[in-house]
Amino acid sequence: MKPRGGLDKAERVLGGPVLWAGLAALTVFAMAPFVWVLLASFKTRAELYATPLVWLPASLSVANYVDAWTSKLTPFSRFFANSLWVSSVTMVATTAISVLAGYALARFRFAGRQTVMMVFLATQMFPAVLLIAPLLSQWHALGLIDTYQVLIYSNFSFTVPFTVWMLVGYFESIPRELEESALMDGCGRFGALCRVVLPLAAPGVAATAIFAFVSSWSELLFAITFTSQTEMRTLSAGLLFMVGQYEIQWGQLSAGVIISTLPVAVLFTFLQRHLIRGLTAGALKG
Amino acid sequence: MAREATFATPLARPLLSRRARDLLTGYCYLLPVALALGATVLVPILSAMRMSLYNNVLIKPQDYRFIALGNYVRLIHDEVFWLSLWNSFYWVFGSVSLQFVGGFAAALLLHQTFRGRAIVRTLTLLPWIIPGVVVALIWEYLYQPNYGALNDLLVRAGLMTDKVAWLSNPSLAMPAVIATNVWRGVPFFAIMLLAGLQAIPDELYEAARVDGAGVLERFWHITLPMLRPIIVVATATRIIWTFNYADLIFVMTSGGPANATQITSTYTLLQAYSNLDFGYAATLSVVLLLIMLGFTTLYLRVTRGVEPVA
Repeated sequence: MKPRGGLDKAERVLGGPVLWAGLAALTVFAMAPFVWVLLASFKTRAELYATPLVWLPASLSVANYVDAWTSKLTPFSRFFANSLWVSSVTMVATTAISVLAGYALARFRFAGRQTVMMVFLATQMFPAVLLIAPLLSQWHALGLIDTYQVLIYSNFSFTVPFTVWMLVGYFESIPRELEESALMDGCGRFGALCRVVLPLAAPGVAATAIFAFVSSWSELLFAITFTSQTEMRTLSAGLLFMVGQYEIQWGQLSAGVIISTLPVAVLFTFLQRHLIRGLTAGALKG
Repeated sequence: MAREATFATPLARPLLSRRARDLLTGYCYLLPVALALGATVLVPILSAMRMSLYNNVLIKPQDYRFIALGNYVRLIHDEVFWLSLWNSFYWVFGSVSLQFVGGFAAALLLHQTFRGRAIVRTLTLLPWIIPGVVVALIWEYLYQPNYGALNDLLVRAGLMTDKVAWLSNPSLAMPAVIATNVWRGVPFFAIMLLAGLQAIPDELYEAARVDGAGVLERFWHITLPMLRPIIVVATATRIIWTFNYADLIFVMTSGGPANATQITSTYTLLQAYSNLDFGYAATLSVVLLLIMLGFTTLYLRVTRGVEPVA
């Protein structure tokens, strides 16, 4: 990347020892807590509560995972299925309605468009805690407590403003002329959107969809407030419940932590590039 | 369908001009989002304003009555609320400044070319993507006085003689939760600033090099000014987001010990979730909303002059 010749001394030190030491420190800083919990998830009870501390488990026992997955009190298999369902439906519904709204805001010049965009930007900054009390009484009045819908609807409050905002940016970057010809050929607006705009905006749409999935997967406050039965808990709520009710079982809890992390970590590893480009492009538009 | 109808009608001009039809379509496309946000954001905010005027404690339905600004008067005299504002400032300033420094360093490192860069990037950015409750529990375990890794490491290294109860010591709890938040937030700044670094044209550096500028001069006169827009946007976004963020503290300390880590957003959450005092929680929500509107106005002011990079 840089020409070899003409490196001054500062550059050689920075590019050599400083770079490697920095990278090592960064990697250890980011990964050590994960490694610690991963090791703990394989430890036996005796190893977890030994003094002095036992760092490495003697064998890779999966007992903690089996216990967490099949436990009657904190059934992680059920939590996992709940999280998967709530996050997937939120993702699909959010993307569908945000694509329509994003397209409308990018293409149709109606009065108050600027104001609408401001509202979307401002809504992104509203904290979830602000909505807890009013939403709880609202959902209670509608008899929606302990349902999947209530979590999905509530998730819209934070997924939709962000996805619409990002999608407007993507759609604006696609030249209008491409649709004009489709419109001339007799496609309706919806046809032009589906056949011309969406294929071109696919990476952006995918990034926003993943964002909706990941943020719903992480959601905690709505999940603990709007559900009360064990079988309705998501992974985040289930983990917290595990801490709150009993003496903390660090082994099972560590297994639960790994189970909750794995899907988003895998998604992130494979789709990192798209996701990051999508998110930074959205933010850079600011 | 409307299009076909215009062919069928023997009028000189279609009933609706294309512009009018486009507008109609536009409003139809906006409708689902308007309904979704109306039901989950707008109506709740309005009902919070109404709720804040009532004495409304869920477990004491007999005391439910209109008390006008009673909750607001209570707020003004509530020492915990003022403490929570101060703690929020401490929490936001501590978290964001350290995240920025760490994230900037990480971005500069990850911008270099080296073998295995893709893997190192993925691994180091991972803390940003995992659920907040997971981050909180991982660190709660690290901080655990008897079986946690941190005390063990520090004692073994000879830096401490006695084990420390990180999260139940009033003067250590806030630094401990901030450290956790820094771990979580460094990747955010790293991602943003890395995108900014990649957008700087190499020619600028080459030209400066030809002119004899050293590493530090190039950093000071090219990198920093070119990154300014994204630094402003990322920092402003992060300040607002951190102010709102309740999950970490709620899980790790619930605002304790003795409100040492009670920030305004966790205080609001606890009033609704633990005390079921909806009237007062709604009052705090309204105040929080006003603070957020202030922040947002400031944010728009600060970022308006900033040119988009990408």
